[in-house]
Amino acid sequence: MGFIEKNTRAILLIELAAGMALTLKYFFRRKVTVNYPYEKGPLSPRFRGEHALRRYPNGEERCIACKLCEAICPAQAIVIEAQPRDDGSRRTTRYDIDMTKCIYCGYCEEACPVDAIVEGPNFEFATETREELMYDKDKLLANGDQWETEIAERLRLNSPFR
Amino acid sequence: MVNITIDKEKHDVEAGITVMQACEHVGIEIPRFCYHERLSIAGNCRMCLVDIERSPKPVASCAMPVAEGMVINTNTPDVHKMRKGVMEFLLINHPLDCPICDQGGECDLQDQAMGFGWDRSRYHENKRAVKDKDFGPLIKTTMTRCIHCTRCVRFATEIAGVPELGATGRGENTEIGTYIEKAISSELSGNMIDLCPVGALTNAPYAFHARSWELKKTESIDVMDALGSNIRVDARGPEVMRILPRLNDEVNEEWISDKTRFACDGLRRQRLDRPYVRKNGKLKEASWDSAFTTIAHFAQELKGDQIGAIAGDLADCESMTALKDLMTAMGTNNIDCRQDGAKLDSGIRASYLFNSTTPGIDRASAMLLIGANTRFDVPVLNARIRKRWTRGSCEIGYIGQQADLTYPVTHLGDGPAALKTLLNGRGPFAKVMRTAERPMIIIGSDAITRPDGAAVLALARQVAVKYEVVTSDWNGFNVLQRAASRVGGLDLGFVPGRGGLDVAGILSGAVDGSIKMVYLLGADEVDTTKFGNAFIIYQGHHGDAGAQRADVILPGAAYTEKNATYVNIDGRVQLTRLAVYPPGDAREDWTIIRALSEFTKHTLPYDNLRQLRARMVQLNSNFLNVDQAVPALWQDFGTEGHIKDTPFESKINNYYMTDPISRASETMAHCTEVFLRGEDRKTPANG
Amino acid sequence: MVEIWDNYGLPMVWMILKIIAIVFPIMLSVAYLTLAERKVIGAMHLRKGPNVVGPFGLFQPLADGLKLFLKETIIPSGANRGVFILAPCVTFVLALIAWAVIPFDKGMVLSNINVGILYLFAISSLGVYGILMAGWASNSRYAFLGAMRSAAQMISYEVSMGLIIITVLLCVGSLNLSDIVMAQREMWFIVPLFPMGVIFFVSTLAETNRHPFDLPEAEAELVAGYNVEYSAMTFALFFLGEYANMILMSAMTSVLFLGGWLPPFNAIPFTWIPGPVWFALKIAFCLFIFIWVRATFPRYRYDQLMRLGWKIFLPLSLAAVAIVSGILVAFNLTPNHG
Repeated sequence: MGFIEKNTRAILLIELAAGMALTLKYFFRRKVTVNYPYEKGPLSPRFRGEHALRRYPNGEERCIACKLCEAICPAQAIVIEAQPRDDGSRRTTRYDIDMTKCIYCGYCEEACPVDAIVEGPNFEFATETREELMYDKDKLLANGDQWETEIAERLRLNSPFR
Repeated sequence: MVNITIDKEKHDVEAGITVMQACEHVGIEIPRFCYHERLSIAGNCRMCLVDIERSPKPVASCAMPVAEGMVINTNTPDVHKMRKGVMEFLLINHPLDCPICDQGGECDLQDQAMGFGWDRSRYHENKRAVKDKDFGPLIKTTMTRCIHCTRCVRFATEIAGVPELGATGRGENTEIGTYIEKAISSELSGNMIDLCPVGALTNAPYAFHARSWELKKTESIDVMDALGSNIRVDARGPEVMRILPRLNDEVNEEWISDKTRFACDGLRRQRLDRPYVRKNGKLKEASWDSAFTTIAHFAQELKGDQIGAIAGDLADCESMTALKDLMTAMGTNNIDCRQDGAKLDSGIRASYLFNSTTPGIDRASAMLLIGANTRFDVPVLNARIRKRWTRGSCEIGYIGQQADLTYPVTHLGDGPAALKTLLNGRGPFAKVMRTAERPMIIIGSDAITRPDGAAVLALARQVAVKYEVVTSDWNGFNVLQRAASRVGGLDLGFVPGRGGLDVAGILSGAVDGSIKMVYLLGADEVDTTKFGNAFIIYQGHHGDAGAQRADVILPGAAYTEKNATYVNIDGRVQLTRLAVYPPGDAREDWTIIRALSEFTKHTLPYDNLRQLRARMVQLNSNFLNVDQAVPALWQDFGTEGHIKDTPFESKINNYYMTDPISRASETMAHCTEVFLRGEDRKTPANG
Repeated sequence: MVEIWDNYGLPMVWMILKIIAIVFPIMLSVAYLTLAERKVIGAMHLRKGPNVVGPFGLFQPLADGLKLFLKETIIPSGANRGVFILAPCVTFVLALIAWAVIPFDKGMVLSNINVGILYLFAISSLGVYGILMAGWASNSRYAFLGAMRSAAQMISYEVSMGLIIITVLLCVGSLNLSDIVMAQREMWFIVPLFPMGVIFFVSTLAETNRHPFDLPEAEAELVAGYNVEYSAMTFALFFLGEYANMILMSAMTSVLFLGGWLPPFNAIPFTWIPGPVWFALKIAFCLFIFIWVRATFPRYRYDQLMRLGWKIFLPLSLAAVAIVSGILVAFNLTPNHG
């Protein structure tokens, strides 16, 4: 751009006017706001929401305490302790997720060899106290039971891409 | 030397070594499963295949000796393809259960499948399933994972000397097992877990408890026996999860005994985590201040010679130094580190060391074990003796109670009489000793802890002189200690000074009231019922015998919880490192004594470990030589005297429970049940 | 007694009523300006803006106000208490007392003094003290830096603003604001003095610490600048003061360049609408531009801001004074001749 043109544009505030014209154009556009909580946007099957520990259809918990999720968790939000259960199988005695540490990266479900820990579709789990966000195994299993239908459907939808 | 070419580079290597070893020498790693440098060559995993020119087929490098002009390729597409093929075969029947496998994260098969394997399998049939075997309470088996490398079989047969394992069946039906369901009766069985390249044999008490990547690894020293095996302490948070051996050819090669490995769960139980003071006959929790004040208050009214101190089997050199200095400052010479009453002279180093050193065993040409049940005293050392025996031309004589030492011995008798016979040059073994180039005598603690121990020692010395066991370049006279603290204590002179009382003297003094206060530094092996009315201070880490009798308990640190010095049987100064912190209010032991010294107004002149270690060097310059075994001067020792002709009785009646830590250990208790009482209670881990 | 009432009491009551008549709508406008700002920016972001509290979110400002009113006022332990509390009051009061001279219609002005424009200018310059006090009294680095920036920025832009006002005054020949408006009966000054109008408007952006010149409270570097430590009502006073200032500056722009209460054309349909409505519309237009600019432009860097003030606006406005006065003299257009 030549010197004259550049300075002319500057003095006549062409860029500024163009910018303001753009925002003004958007001012009259149709709005995209979703009227949450009465309306909700669509969720991808890959949406990473609240965690849940799943069970097999026979009621046996899936988690085998391999600790891969704990190892991969970049926020170190997961704490697992394991022991042989009475029947000799490898099970967790403790599975805690600190939801205040969690960054919802989804690495845990990615790492899980048995699809036990998943990030479900629920994102409305705000609590009044911090302590309630320290999820333990019971809470996670309860989540799994509550959301199982949706979680299974999401996994089915996503299965061709995994 | 032969000239060979490896990967287009010419090398000169020693003749007679295998192709794999040659590759290792020049820094090329060959994948392997069955080959292990301390075991015989099996050549059955086929993972180490390399391409040798003018050979029609790929060659298993572990079993192929190098030859002049050999041209070896380890990095060609062909070799890669072979490895991929072998790996695919190995994985045909290996389950993909890495997530529930304890070996996951430290598995040879996992690593090598990643490094050399293929990313898929063409095998669609069902994998085979093998019933798990019962290998006892220490080893958990998952035999479906077994790839039949036979390392465990070879270890049991060759190193441990318990030929109880073997492979049955052929082809796909091959199974490794004990033929009949029985626990593996070896004190070294835990090493099979390390040897197993897959997750077929895993650590049963540790099952599912932690992953290798979660553990903080600390290199340290074992104190369960006097060998001072080099170990790695794996801790997770505040807990020691497991103990693994560290490579040190000078000490333990790469084995550790089962007690070393599995007693670590004892570190979590029955711990003293706060000071206690006895009030009205009951031990009450107390603060450090009140505990120290109680002691200082009591000690104030005592004369020096009314105080005694006994150092236990697990005491570290730092705390013994501090305690010795404190006792000296309080004016007493009644200190002793020989709880078992061994008649050893702290002045002459050669009289209590394993003079030929542990590696020296490999050079011995005949051995005489006197009252030394090496299998239970120091199992790893026993494996070394066995290794010497398997190499041939080494006869081993044994004086003591009949025992299975895992190698054949010429039993010469069970008491001092046999030794006298040998001194007189009679008996079949006299010739063996006379003709042997480097004869070796190992005198065990069973022989020297007798009341006439000093005389037995003198007798053994006479035998040594007669058969020229000690020459200018070979000292074959060895004392086999049983306790980790003993050599250190003797080095530091933690023995009665002028006019001082030894353990027996302190005990009898306590009974008759001339000893009013006894300081037990982790001493649990003395008879605590015989302290009379004496005021007992117990400093230690476990609520064991000593703590029960104590009037004041000062909680100390176990060997995994402190930076401390131990001296092993060879006189090798070794350092433990802090892996986890002591529980609760417990502190490193020397700091407790240092703090107490302030309360009793005898403040010790060291404030940190460096100053304390300088003091140790002052006491014995040997403490400068960390990780070295310095030969001791051969001098006159032992006191000749009357020797009762009673058999050398073994004091270890339960190998699995010899010290406070192993006595607190659940695993060791289970082993006791299985191996000593023959009951086999199945643990959950064993399914 | 009656005399005293007639001479002093009644005018006082009358005066107070007039003040209330001015202050109350201003407060209301401030409240709804916040809503307007959120709505307009929302619209430009393709959002709806607040729409939950009341119909179309119309009660949102009340809810916000109530929230701020109910919250705890935190005074930092290291703060200078007196000054800390005084600062928002100063800002708030200064933003209101300037309105005394603004003419809403012919004769509809609280105090029709003949140096109105000077008064206005003086009061708006005083505004910097509130901010300086706040920054200093907070005893916080962020607040102090914000206050320093604010002071430097306001003083810098006042220079060119003053010069622009001189060009206007040259065309009017009076400092009385009503006179200034009346001088635009024929033609709004925005037409002949368009460049000055633009410079003036940009300067008012800087003067009110608005985007893109909101460096004193730059979130990214200063967290919130001088009002970092303020909460609840003290914060609300700052907030009110700032927005009242925006309205004041818009009023000033309207008076100086957009013909105050005058309709755009002195023709029938336009003259039906009363003057105060025209004035309000013009203020609203200016405020819309304020918000529009905020939605459009990113924040200036501090050196850019200073460069713009001292190296561009100052020479330009100086030149404007020379040119305008030159033209006025040359074509014999000076107002008092006429």
